[in-house]
Amino acid sequence: MFPMLTLLSMFYYICLRRRSRSGTRSEALGSRRAVELGQRSALPVTVEVEQYGKEVLDFSSHYGSENSMSYTMWNLAGVPNVYPSSGDFTQTAVFRTYGSWWEQCTSSAQRFRRTPPSFHSQDYLELAFEEPVYPTAVEVLETYHPGAVIKILACSLNPFSQNPPVDVRWEVLWAGKPNKALTPQARQFSPSIKQINFATNLLRLEVNSSLLEYYTELDAVILRGVRERPILALYKIPVIDINDLSDSEEEISEAGGLCCRSGGENRHNLGNGYFDRLPYELIQLIVSHLPVPDLCRLAQSCKLFHKHCCDPLQYIQLSLQPYWARLTDASLSHLLSRCTLLQRLNMSWTGNRGAVTAAGFCSFMKACGVSLVCLELSCCHFLTEACLEVIAQTCPCLQELNLASCDRLQPQAFNHIVKLTNLRRLVLYRTKVEQSAILSILTFCPELKHLNLGSCVMIEDYDVVASMLSARCHSLRSLDLWRCRNLSEHGLAELVSGCRLLEELELGWCSTLQSSSGCFQHLARSLPRLRKLFLTANRTVCDSDLEELAANCSALEHLDILGTRMVSSASLRKLLQCCPQLKLLDVSFCSQVDSRLVQELSGLFPNVSIKKSFTQ
Amino acid sequence: MLSVLSYGRIVARAVLGGLSQTDGRDYSLITASCGFGKDFRKGILKKGMCYGDDACFIAQHKSADVLGVADGVGGWRDYGVDPSQFSATLMRTCERLVKEGRFTPSSPVGILTSGYYELLQNKVPLLGSSTACIVVLDRRSHRIHTCNLGDSGFLVVRGGEVVHRSDEQQHYFNTPFQLSIAPPGAEGVVLSDSPEVSDSSSFDVQLGDIILTATDGLFDNMPDYMILQELKKLKNTNYDSIQQTARSIAEQAHELAYDPNYMSPFAQFACDNGLNVRGGKPDDITVLLSIVAEYTD
Repeated sequence: MFPMLTLLSMFYYICLRRRSRSGTRSEALGSRRAVELGQRSALPVTVEVEQYGKEVLDFSSHYGSENSMSYTMWNLAGVPNVYPSSGDFTQTAVFRTYGSWWEQCTSSAQRFRRTPPSFHSQDYLELAFEEPVYPTAVEVLETYHPGAVIKILACSLNPFSQNPPVDVRWEVLWAGKPNKALTPQARQFSPSIKQINFATNLLRLEVNSSLLEYYTELDAVILRGVRERPILALYKIPVIDINDLSDSEEEISEAGGLCCRSGGENRHNLGNGYFDRLPYELIQLIVSHLPVPDLCRLAQSCKLFHKHCCDPLQYIQLSLQPYWARLTDASLSHLLSRCTLLQRLNMSWTGNRGAVTAAGFCSFMKACGVSLVCLELSCCHFLTEACLEVIAQTCPCLQELNLASCDRLQPQAFNHIVKLTNLRRLVLYRTKVEQSAILSILTFCPELKHLNLGSCVMIEDYDVVASMLSARCHSLRSLDLWRCRNLSEHGLAELVSGCRLLEELELGWCSTLQSSSGCFQHLARSLPRLRKLFLTANRTVCDSDLEELAANCSALEHLDILGTRMVSSASLRKLLQCCPQLKLLDVSFCSQVDSRLVQELSGLFPNVSIKKSFTQ
Repeated sequence: MLSVLSYGRIVARAVLGGLSQTDGRDYSLITASCGFGKDFRKGILKKGMCYGDDACFIAQHKSADVLGVADGVGGWRDYGVDPSQFSATLMRTCERLVKEGRFTPSSPVGILTSGYYELLQNKVPLLGSSTACIVVLDRRSHRIHTCNLGDSGFLVVRGGEVVHRSDEQQHYFNTPFQLSIAPPGAEGVVLSDSPEVSDSSSFDVQLGDIILTATDGLFDNMPDYMILQELKKLKNTNYDSIQQTARSIAEQAHELAYDPNYMSPFAQFACDNGLNVRGGKPDDITVLLSIVAEYTD
């Protein structure tokens, strides 16, 4: 009896100890910060500094106007204005797009092959803080439809310092998958971040809002950190990665590579095992599934793979956007010899802060640009007028050119685009292109199918641009005139009479268009193929406009009539009945459309995603 | 000889430097607000700093102190539009512009123009109109820059006398200049004045100057001598006494507004134009009382 009791009690005691120990282990990740702080308190006390953003330095897009403080990215700096309230407020930072609606349009770029599955960033922003600290936590205050932030990075460069170092490093503090929160209510997003071994005051947030119901809105970012390097930090050994591209020369290993076993028949080869039996094309096919960094590493393994991996046929499409943090001039010069057959190149987001220079880019273009058909250069701040000149000279076959958010390019640089007479798709969102340049481009590029002039504030008279489009670009399929200041009904009338094939028309925030002039009804009658029409914040859209759309545009898929007081439920019903392809209908802030009506219509037309935003 | 001259120069410089030492310091405005909505909503802060259809703001930035008042035009109520929404949003927006430094102290018209532009950038379709008066003190240069659109306004009192005042801008009787956003189609019918037609002025101020910024609810009910009488009671420059004085001015104006026999400035003006009326003018009253003092952190 007693020995059994003692045995039982011992057993019980051991189990208790074990359970408590495993309990702390599973909590360890969550309370790592607490543990560290506890550990740190045993050493000289390090004060945790809390900072709000000081200045937004760079971003890929935003919803608001270029000289406004409503829905613009600059609202992310400073203390929160809205949090903890939820809703669609002007004082927040909002990106230009959400969901997958824009990707469904024909005006979007085709996906590049070999994009690594871990890269799904659609937009980014870079936020500088006052003081460099070793970060312990990053909190993002999301006030509307949270869940878009998928990556947080820290930079070793201090953007306010007078003498910046040559070596700029970006370290990923946290990365996740795109998701959406269960409700659109505000939340404080604070993922557990990795410890890094340098002090930082420059953070980069990458977002993907493809799963979200509506625009995500960010209010503020809080950076918590310590001034002194944490002593017990684990220094992560930098993984050998894309840097291989820059520092390795062609290493031809004489001693053979992977498989030295000879197949038997071909003894005079170096002996690549079974790979010698495979036809060249098959190895090419196998290798074509590797992402670019792996391709470069494989090239160093043996002579056979070097031949395959450096074959220009592997580099017909090249997307360097996922590797923006590490791409340098040296990488480009290393890839130069392999990219002679390059047709589609994506260098969006790369080369900032001196990593790629205009000269490096120009030499790459001169060597590899001859067959180039598609060139994505969004947010490439290293571009200069000389670069565009080189592009114009060396890429006569160029059909797609994306210069979105290249806002540091001087206006005269765009004159060189005139020489690219085969252009089918041109994106100049948020650039400083001037009226004379765009008019010349339209004169000489009659094949244009997709044109994006969103937020191009330097164009004075959009009526003239519309008139030129109507005269020269009859193949136009999509036109983005988001926030164009002064398009009037005359310009719109000319546009729709000349560009009969228009399928997508983005006229959001074009406040000078008045429905009373009949311009929207004329538009509906003239464009039977219309699939996307955005009349966001045009307060004059009325019932007769919707009725004309219902009568004429049965192919309509996306419609945005945010903010009008003049649309009633009857015309909405008619539209929904007559446009069976409709997938997106945004009736936010339409005063005659309440949530009860939206619920009813969503029930009647389940294939349509009806959006109604709210402020409270 | 030369040494005497140089010594004299040094002494003169020291003396003059001592005398003008106060000119090197920054000034600031210590401001208190008080007001009453017309419907006896005594000083209820609806959205903060709103009195009935009036709205106001007080804000600072690194180099300037800024005040603003806006009087929402009540006529919109007849068309189902809440007049307080426009004035409140305008003042909130101007306050935000100031706090974020998106303005030039010497150009309060810029604040008004940007504020109005930002109203149009709101997804929510705002409707309504209001007057506006913006007063900016440039701390370093000791200058006040003002901008007034409509019949709100300001007074500057020094030594018991009014040394500066704003002019009323009216299209016709009881119809002041106003910033407005009209429903589509009604643009030709609704009065809409551009921020550019506002009255601007600039002048120097001295320590101890009193600046009274208010909507027409005050000026239509209290003539200058009554206001000056109340201001004489302001003894020191701490916030509490300014708050008390502002409150007493607003309360007195509120009482006079409902006195049917009192010959208010509004009634006087009506009589001068052939309308035989008497009594106060019930209206929303907003009073911002400021004193120019030395800047302390």
